[in-house]
Amino acid sequence: MLSALEPSSEILHPDYTSFIPARTRRRMTDGLKMAAVCAKDCLAQIGLEQPDAIAVGTSMGCSLFTKKFLKKIVSFEGGLLSPTSFMLSTHNTIAGQISLLLGNHQYNMTHTQNTLSFEHALLDGMMHIEEGQNNVLVGAADEREEELYNIKERLHNQDVILTCGASFFILSSHASKTNPIKLVDVKSLGLVENVKLKVLQLLKANDWLAKDIDLILYASSHQTTKKELSELFEVGQLFDYQRVSGLYFTNSAFALNYATDILSRGKHPVEAKSVKKILICNNIIPENLGLMLLEHC
Amino acid sequence: MEELTNTLKNQIIEELNLEDIRAEDIENDAPLFGDGLGLDSIDALELVVIMENYHGVKIPNSAIGKEVLVSINSMAEYIMQHQSES
Amino acid sequence: MELFVTGIGVMTAIGNTVAENFHSLKVARTGIQRSAKLGLMLGEVSFSNEEIIEKLGLTKIDYSRTTLLGMLAAKEAWGKNEHKEEIATGLISATSAGGMDRIEKYFAQAHHEGMDTSRRMTYENGRTTEGIAKELGIKGYIGTISTACSSGANAIMHGARLIQSGRLDRVLVGGVDPLVDYNIKGFSSLGIYAEGICTPFDQNRKGLNLGEGAAFLVLESAASLSITGNKPLCLLSGWDNSTDAFHQTASSADGKGATLAMKHALKKAKLLAKDISYVNVHGTGTQNNDLSESAALRNVFGHKMPPFSSTKSFTGHTLAAAGAIEAVYCILSLRSNAIFPSLNFSTPIKATGLIPATSFREKVEVKHALTNAFGFGGNCTCLIFSKKM
Repeated sequence: MLSALEPSSEILHPDYTSFIPARTRRRMTDGLKMAAVCAKDCLAQIGLEQPDAIAVGTSMGCSLFTKKFLKKIVSFEGGLLSPTSFMLSTHNTIAGQISLLLGNHQYNMTHTQNTLSFEHALLDGMMHIEEGQNNVLVGAADEREEELYNIKERLHNQDVILTCGASFFILSSHASKTNPIKLVDVKSLGLVENVKLKVLQLLKANDWLAKDIDLILYASSHQTTKKELSELFEVGQLFDYQRVSGLYFTNSAFALNYATDILSRGKHPVEAKSVKKILICNNIIPENLGLMLLEHC
Repeated sequence: MEELTNTLKNQIIEELNLEDIRAEDIENDAPLFGDGLGLDSIDALELVVIMENYHGVKIPNSAIGKEVLVSINSMAEYIMQHQSES
Repeated sequence: MELFVTGIGVMTAIGNTVAENFHSLKVARTGIQRSAKLGLMLGEVSFSNEEIIEKLGLTKIDYSRTTLLGMLAAKEAWGKNEHKEEIATGLISATSAGGMDRIEKYFAQAHHEGMDTSRRMTYENGRTTEGIAKELGIKGYIGTISTACSSGANAIMHGARLIQSGRLDRVLVGGVDPLVDYNIKGFSSLGIYAEGICTPFDQNRKGLNLGEGAAFLVLESAASLSITGNKPLCLLSGWDNSTDAFHQTASSADGKGATLAMKHALKKAKLLAKDISYVNVHGTGTQNNDLSESAALRNVFGHKMPPFSSTKSFTGHTLAAAGAIEAVYCILSLRSNAIFPSLNFSTPIKATGLIPATSFREKVEVKHALTNAFGFGGNCTCLIFSKKM
């Protein structure tokens, strides 16, 4: 099990040089580098050169470049503005740079729906599999955002630690022999009023019963989510994944990564029991709800 | 001249984020584009910005840019020539 | 599965409604003018934020211009549609600027007052879409796509795929971008902002002019139509997104990504290049885009290029809105059997020799109209709209 984050926890950086050539790396912030490394590592794990489609979720995109260019504009006192930070500040820089790095000419999409950006990308990837593609690269990345302090303050959520991160996955049309985990369903819902009802609807649509689910990974910035979920599930089944991921806009991608790790080991992170079915419930912003159902098969 | 070429090299490394390259790795007469440092059209714009904002020398059009932004030496020569004019 | 377009709404520098846009296209009146404030050629929407707030009767006033422009165009497209439990309805909007207009004001003030800008307010794209959704009463699937200048076309494509997958029955899709200093300064820094008016596909083109605007379409499945009773305007028959994988901002000389997008969209629509009656090109007016796109058009259409035009010579380049605005123009072309002109053209590009339509033509049989939208990151999207036979 991963230990909970501490205020003193530091962000780990792999050796980027072995994944990304210097000429590409020089135009990357840490967020971009993390995403590129995850994407390449995913492909390497299954020995795949090119995915059939790429879908990325990011709330803020390359916000460090955006801020850099904004600062240049406001402090502009004549002369010329340098274009590099502007060029790299579009939200689809992450997905675009991955296509450049791989030389990939396929579908390339970027979803930016704040805390639900990853769920949108994942659903996009899932539709590509349904449409007949074999392997789709989906992922999410967000940089460390001081702006989140405002959200933390607004939501009176002072316990969670601000972080950043990237997680990528390969969705395949065929089950992996070594790690057969099925993404059963994914839902992204905006302007939601009743979380409990939406969870029940999703379970019903997939013929799942609440009692079949071994673990619920949830994230919330308010008390009501846990309360509503505890009306459906045993409190012991609920696990707040932000304790290990920290807060960033697309941390539900971390939750999916964590869930696949738990399912491959088959063991509950806290209790001594087996885990075969997981629900991920992302309710960081009260009116936005992301749901994912996963099963070890 | 040597002071100017060194300044230029450091400014290029800084602005173009050439993290693996040190000033002494860049030859004064080596080509900046193509096989040399492998810069592209966006970097050319960054070099124009360096010339104007740090050295007060304008590159009025792309034809002149193509002549000037060739190597560290050609950039330094252009700066010396035009700074003395103004 | 057939995908029906049953509603359209658009606002640009050449008009605040579909009818006004059509009229300007017909009389060849551009909306690009020299802005008194910035001294640059811009395609500005005539309504101020205050006017839009008043028109919509909004009680809250601190909206981003992105949300406001989007609300008006989305409402025009939505028309008299009603919410019904049995019609799963979603909203997909595209934007590149998001709430940047507000953040710019904040940054400028903070800089002026020597404040720390690190804990600034947000420019999240998603929030502007949620604002539009609230105004229209749409809940559930609310998504934002941001792939720079191809975003609007990608939002339309994504809506089509969601209906095809059975997840939605009806979806409001489109894009919106306001003029923001950030983008104006950004494109200027790339050295591709034309000093005069843009001249797409001309040998002597000097770059683009930015514009602002929004456009939305209502897409429906046959099942949805049977409940809403809406009359289809046309079909969305083909779409594709492919990647150039050449450079972050520049397009490849052989137009690889654009060629793939057009070829795949034709295949999806089960059409041949010769079936296309009108092409609304991306045609920004930059040296690089128009040359690369010309090469791609030659790859796809050979020497039998159908009539084509860049309506960016009317609206300016509206970034994330462009793909949606130009989709609406394609639908207007199908509906009125008309070809819209490309303005300011005089000399064909030497390498490819393509000549756009330069005057408004009516009574041309337009059966299938194709539109291109390309963005940073080598993102190339092509959509095809067809008459319902």
